[in-house]
Formats: sequence, C-alpha cells, structure tokens
Amino acid sequence: MSIQRVSDAQTFALLNQRAAALEVQIRRLQRQVTSGTLYASPEENPAAATRILRSRADLSALGQYGDSARFGVQILGAQDKALGEAGALMTRAEEIAAQMSSGLISAEQRLAAAEEVHGILEGLTSLGNAELAGRRLFGGLALDAPAPFADPDTPGWDPATAYTGSTQEFFVKIGGGATERVRLSTDGDAVFEDALTGVAALETALRTNGDVSATVAGLVQGRDTIAAERASVGARQAQLVERDDQVGATVLREQTALADVEDADLVVVISQLVQAQTALQATLQAATRVIQTNLANLVSI
Amino acid sequence: MSLSPVLSIAQRALAASETALEVVSNNIANVNTPGYSRQAPEFTSNVPIVNPIGIFIGTGATVTRVIQIVDDLLDKRILEAETDRREHATLRDRLGSLAGVLNDVQEPSLTSQLAGFFDAVDALARNPAGLAERQTVLGRAVALADELNRRSASVATLQRGADDALVDRVERANALLAEIADVNVAIAAAELEGQRANDLRDRRRVALGELAGIVSIQTTEDDGGAVAVYASNGLALINAGTVVHTFGTRTGGFGLDGFALHDPGFVDAAGNFLDLPSGFARGEIGALLAVRDGQYPTASAALDTFAVALRDRVNAIQTAGVDLDGNATTLAPLFGGTGAADLTVLLNPATDPTAPRKLAAALGTEPGDNRNALALADLRTTPIAALGNVTLSAYLGIEQGRVGEDAQRADDTSKATGLLGQQLDAQRAAISGVNLNEELTNLLEYQRAFQAAAQVIQVADTILDELVHILR
Repeated sequence: MSIQRVSDAQTFALLNQRAAALEVQIRRLQRQVTSGTLYASPEENPAAATRILRSRADLSALGQYGDSARFGVQILGAQDKALGEAGALMTRAEEIAAQMSSGLISAEQRLAAAEEVHGILEGLTSLGNAELAGRRLFGGLALDAPAPFADPDTPGWDPATAYTGSTQEFFVKIGGGATERVRLSTDGDAVFEDALTGVAALETALRTNGDVSATVAGLVQGRDTIAAERASVGARQAQLVERDDQVGATVLREQTALADVEDADLVVVISQLVQAQTALQATLQAATRVIQTNLANLVSI
Repeated sequence: MSLSPVLSIAQRALAASETALEVVSNNIANVNTPGYSRQAPEFTSNVPIVNPIGIFIGTGATVTRVIQIVDDLLDKRILEAETDRREHATLRDRLGSLAGVLNDVQEPSLTSQLAGFFDAVDALARNPAGLAERQTVLGRAVALADELNRRSASVATLQRGADDALVDRVERANALLAEIADVNVAIAAAELEGQRANDLRDRRRVALGELAGIVSIQTTEDDGGAVAVYASNGLALINAGTVVHTFGTRTGGFGLDGFALHDPGFVDAAGNFLDLPSGFARGEIGALLAVRDGQYPTASAALDTFAVALRDRVNAIQTAGVDLDGNATTLAPLFGGTGAADLTVLLNPATDPTAPRKLAAALGTEPGDNRNALALADLRTTPIAALGNVTLSAYLGIEQGRVGEDAQRADDTSKATGLLGQQLDAQRAAISGVNLNEELTNLLEYQRAFQAAAQVIQVADTILDELVHILR
C-alpha cells in the first residue's frame, strides 16, 4: 500500500528508526576497528564462531606438538652429542688397544695406557650420567634422579650391573593420534654396557699384562652399539625437526585461515564506518530540514 | 424583512467554527500522544426553512459530531502483528542474552580454559615429575571448573529472570484487563447518546495493543461499543465491563537454580485456577515460556553433558595411574560434582598443598614415567561417545554454533516481524496520525470561517443600525 499521507509521528519515527539502525551499525564497525576482529558474539555468524573455536583449539594443540617436538630435538641433540663423545672415546680405546698389542711395549707404558683407559671408563660413565636441565639423558629422562651408572672406582664395580637407572621409555606426543609419539629416552644400559665391558676388559688386560688384542672385538662391539644408537637418535631427531617444521607450516595455514574468518579487513571496515557516518549525517540533516519546514513558520495566524 | 435569521445563521457558524477550532487544537495537542487517532469535525447543513416570500432558504451549518479517522480492519491487523512482534523481540532479547553468557568468541572463554588445561597436561607429559607443571595442571583444572560453574549459574540466572518476567507480564496483563473493562463501561456510557467516545477508544486501543503483545487475544466489538476479549484458546477474558477470567500463576516445576518456577494459567471468578497452556503459546509470555523451558534448560544440559564427560574421562585416567610418590591414585579422582553447576577440583592445591604430588602422571613407579600424562593429553583429541563422538573442544564449538544460530534466527525473525509492525504502524499513522501542517491549514480554514461569520454579524449590525437611523 502506497503512503498517501504523512503524519508528524511518522516523520519522527522514521528518523528514530533510521538513526538508531545507523548508530547500531556504527557501533559495530567501531568495535571491529578497535578490536580488529569481525565478531564479538556467536549470533553474529554462528558458522564462523564454530570455525573460530575449532581453529583456536587446533592452534592450541599444534602449539603443544611444536613445543614437544622442540623439546625432543633438544633432548635428542644432547644425547647425540654425548653419544658422539662416547664414540670418540671408544675410538681412542681401540687405538690404545692397537698400540698396546705390540710385544715391544714396556710395563711402564702399559701402566700409563691403563691409566688413560681408566679415564676413558670414567668418561663413558660420566657421559652415561649426563643431564640436561636436571634430567638424566640415559636414565629414562627422570628429573633430579640419582646417577644411573655407578662410579667405576666403586669396589666391586661390574659393567654388567653398573646401570641402576630407570628402564621406563619416555615418549612425547607430536600429533593428535594416540600413536603419534616419538621416543626420547635412550636405554643407557643397552647403549653403554658393551662399551663399558670392552673398556674395562682392556684396562684389566693392560694392568695384568694380559692379551690386549683379545679385547679389541669387545671394543668394536661397544663402539658399534653406541654408533647404532646414535643413528637411531639422529633419525628420531630428524623426525622431530621435520615435525616441528610441519607444525610451523600448519600453524601458519591455520592462523591464516582463522584470520580470514575472524579478522576485520580494516580498509573495508573503515570505509563502511565512514559510509555509515555519512549516511547518519545525511539522515539527521534531511530530518532537520523536513522538521523545520512547517506552515507555522510561513504564516502568521 | 427580518435580520434575525442572518444573525442566527452567523451565530451558529461562529459556534461551528469554534467547535472545529477546538477539534484542531485537540489534534495539535495530541500530536505526540501514542495511539491517538486524529479527529475531524463533521459539518452538517441545517434544515432549510421557507422564508416569508415562499423561498426555501438554508439556515447555516452546525458541527453535528466529531469523527475519528481510523481503519478498524487495520487496527485488527496491528493487534495480531503486535503479538508476533513482541513474541519475537522477547525471543531475540532472551536468546541474545544466552549467546552472550555462553560466548566463546571473546576470550577468556570455556574453550580457551579447556585448551589451557590440555596445554598444561602436555607440559606435564614433557616433565612428569615437575611440581610446577603439576601445579599448573591443577590450576587450569580449577579455572576450567570455575568457568563451567559460572556459566551454569548464569544460565540459571537467565532462566530465573525469564520466570520473574513471566510473573510480571501476568500481573501487567491483569492490570490491562481491568483497564479495558473499565474503559468498556465508560465508552458504553458515553456513546449511549450517539456520540463516539474517541479518546476513550484510543485509550482502549493502546491497552489492547499492549495486552496483545503479552499474550495472543481475539476481540469483537458489540453494538454498544464494548469490546469482548478472548484468549487464543477461545476462553472469554472480558465481557463488556466484566473481567470474566484473569491470568494467574501457580507453582510449577523446579528451575535450574533449584527453586520453583511459575506456570501461567487462567483464574475464573470463583478463584479456580485453570491450567490451559494453549492460551499462552504466543506473545511475550509464550516466548518467555519457550526459552525458560526450552533453550535455557537445553543449554544447561549441554554444559552438564560436557562437564560429566570431562569429569568421567579425566577421572578414569587419573585413577588408573600412580602419583609422584609411587602411590596408586585409585581413590584420588581429579574432578568431583554432578554437573557443570557443581563441578569441582578435588585435588585442589588451595586446600591441599600436597595435591600436585597426587596427580597421576605415571602408570608405574619407574622415574620419568609419563604414560598416564600422555593418556590424559590424548583426551584432547579423543572423540567421546557421550558427546556424540566428537572431542571436548569440538562439542563446545558445536554448542556455540547451535546457540548462535538460535539467537541469529530469533534476531532475523524479530527484524522481519518488527518490519511488518513498522509498516502497519506507518499505514496507521498515514491514516490516523496528526500532521501539523494539515492541522495548521485547518486552523487557518476555520479561523477564516469564524472571521467571515463575525463579519456577517457586523454587516447585520450595520444594517440594523441604518434601520434604526431611518426610524429616527
């Protein structure tokens, strides 16, 4: 039905309705500009709200996977360094064994070599007891735990029973699935027992004028065991580095997607704000003109 | 020749113009009165008479009545639209409040508290013996439980607010029934003489409009001008000047806060309560009932479902493990309570300094065992059957979307019904509203008529004067 007549109440009602609608719009745009986000409440866009919450939850979880991956890289990096040093000690022990296998070595030279080999034994033990931030690298990563390897100078020390640390495997979670875990612990007993046994045998041979060459095989086995575990550590470290990169890339994608849904495009919002302000100004000006145009102003009764 | 008829016609014209000016003044005075319908004088020519020379001659005009410019059919449509408009505006406001209470879009939120809890669990899994990590897990659990408690209480408060509003609306509706019945009596009395009680009708129209906003009604007007009012189920509420049935409330079921709610009904003249829910399906009361008994309990139940799933799953893992001192935690669940309203952290560091040590991060006694903490961390991404096979955070997202959709739909419908109401109001204003320019024009018109009638008297007076001079 077309309006044929306009009452004063209509004029004011129209002004109120239009101005109120524009003021609501301006307030919303103002909030978007100041907060930088499009939505303040789920009813503004329920689908976007669900998406925003999912993205935030995903980002939170991804943050933890990234933290765990980086934590793992640190731990495995420290283990790798320690195993590298242990490997170097084993190489030195093999060199000593080779040198001392000759029949021309004097008793004093054998004793001096025995002292050096004992130092290697202590060095290996020290590496087996290595810590990072209070956690035993080869003792189940237990915090503030006692040294897992007994001191070789302890009476009755036996390389087969020297390890008394934790045998618990330690994993970190790097993904949502229950199987997306990486082992950080390295069984100190399994890694160092062969090496300690081989080096202890060499020391004994040197001190007792025994057959040094017979100990070489044990030293090689000890070195190989360490090298094999070092390879495993390296592989897991590489896996974690790759996972950290993946998480970083996923976080970036997720943040971009979240920003697309959540963030206000300031250029657009400010343009809309200016547009709404202009419309409000025009509405008020038009209303003022209409209201001021009154017969009472034109005639004297 | 007699000048009496001239003077008499002029006198009546003066009176008519004066009445017309009064009507215009009344219109101008009521320009901002809600529900006022403009009035107009109805001029009628007087019965002509035969003058002494046998010619029919008019005897002027009088204002026989003051009419009201209204469209009764349009007023009925406005009444119906008002029911819709208030119903959906109430739904919009109440569901908007619910969406505000459960708002997770702005942080800190329940979703962020849940994420914070699992972040702390992940940190614990990286350092299962760390006391700081344990303290953080418990602190986050407390924050999560507190947020659930707060939300549950807020939903209960919303429900109580809806119930209070319902009681208030019932009381207001009864006051309106009494007012309409009184005005019915006044209109019938005033219109006995054949005059239309315009201002009383306006007053009744406003009261009927407000009543229709509260609850859906039907009306019929009898020949005497009284309006009979019926509830939407056909029950008579007003018959002429008598309120046949009033609205009432009685104690109903229990609300989310544990206190009784009110059920609306009708009360007959003998004071009997009539339980007829069909009479309250629409209008403000219908909307209040819908959210009070529908959306609010549903939202509360969703929070309870979430809280119970969280409690049960976390406790199942916690009680299967071993604490920092190597003790089994079978009897040391993390969460207690029966739902969102009373979810509590039983291992609360604020009341038990040893609580962090009782958190079961391990499954065995070997140092560095983090298997139970990992199991707890897995819960973040584990679908839970009780939640419809979605994760805890996904459930919150779905519920957030559902509440948001309800509020958005209510807002959209409210806008549509509001727009229809505005259009009808505009139509009514176009017909019945006061236009000051129009009234000023009428003012000029009746002023001129008054001046002209006065001029006639002056002319008659001059003629009489001349005649008196001749006689001298």
